[in-house]
Amino acid sequence: MNPNLELAISAFAGSAALTSLFVILTLIGTLNPYHRPAIPILGASFVIFASTYLFAHIVGIPANSIALRLTMSEGVLALLDIIPIAFLLCTFMFLQASLRKRPEDPLLALLESEPGSE
Amino acid sequence: MSLWAAQVWLGMAITVIGIGMHRTGPAFRRHPFGIPVALLGLAVMLFRVEKPPHPESEVVAATMDAAMWLLPALAGSALVLMGAPLYWRTRLLPLLVGWALIVVAWYQYYSVMSVALSDALRGVSTLLGVTLALAVFALCVRTAERMTPQEPETEPLSEKEKKYVESVLRRHLEVSDEP
Repeated sequence: MNPNLELAISAFAGSAALTSLFVILTLIGTLNPYHRPAIPILGASFVIFASTYLFAHIVGIPANSIALRLTMSEGVLALLDIIPIAFLLCTFMFLQASLRKRPEDPLLALLESEPGSE
Repeated sequence: MSLWAAQVWLGMAITVIGIGMHRTGPAFRRHPFGIPVALLGLAVMLFRVEKPPHPESEVVAATMDAAMWLLPALAGSALVLMGAPLYWRTRLLPLLVGWALIVVAWYQYYSVMSVALSDALRGVSTLLGVTLALAVFALCVRTAERMTPQEPETEPLSEKEKKYVESVLRRHLEVSDEP
């Protein structure tokens, strides 16, 4: 297989598996009595196992715990590669937020005009 | 899996759980254990006695390399959000310090970056992978919500409840209960 294509499929499988792991961990971190996490956890687990199987098939190794670790590691490396794109978008949004002028709020103006207000 | 490899994954799991905990609750009062748990996770992941085996060693090395520009980027972003006129007036000092840190972050990133054509294909694949995982999650949430039995129609308020709601509204509108 073309090495570039192999890299791309590895990044796809890794990022899908790692994002699904993050989904499961976030569900654990935000657990509350109104949660119904069973089906989302099952779905995310399915994505993790399917991605691991795809990664193992592409690399040519058995789909076991080592393949799972390799898939997750590939996911971390792939996500670290695209974080700068997200940061670039955030920088533009910060620039817009920093340069904008807040619209005058008549209620806040009323509050400020009251004696004893800051 | 060796102990040091397990430590890396355990640390990462604790960090993500901590960040998830921090996002719960209203914006003005976040979960008190969120940030401490996330920091504990980072400490578990990055501080170890022995070098972790392959492939975790690459994960830790890449994370440490990224931290060189990610830390000023995160601190700068937080300061810019505090200083920008989003909810209140502009606060110049946090805004300027925040932008200085963002510039430092970009400088750090450009000093170590190396872009190749294959990176673009890899980046697109990564975005597709993330999108697939989030789409499956959204589909599962929709399925779970559809399977939730509908609550019966709520009974109207009793006279006592009506009086209570009325008194709360009056109190908040600073109107005396007495006619």
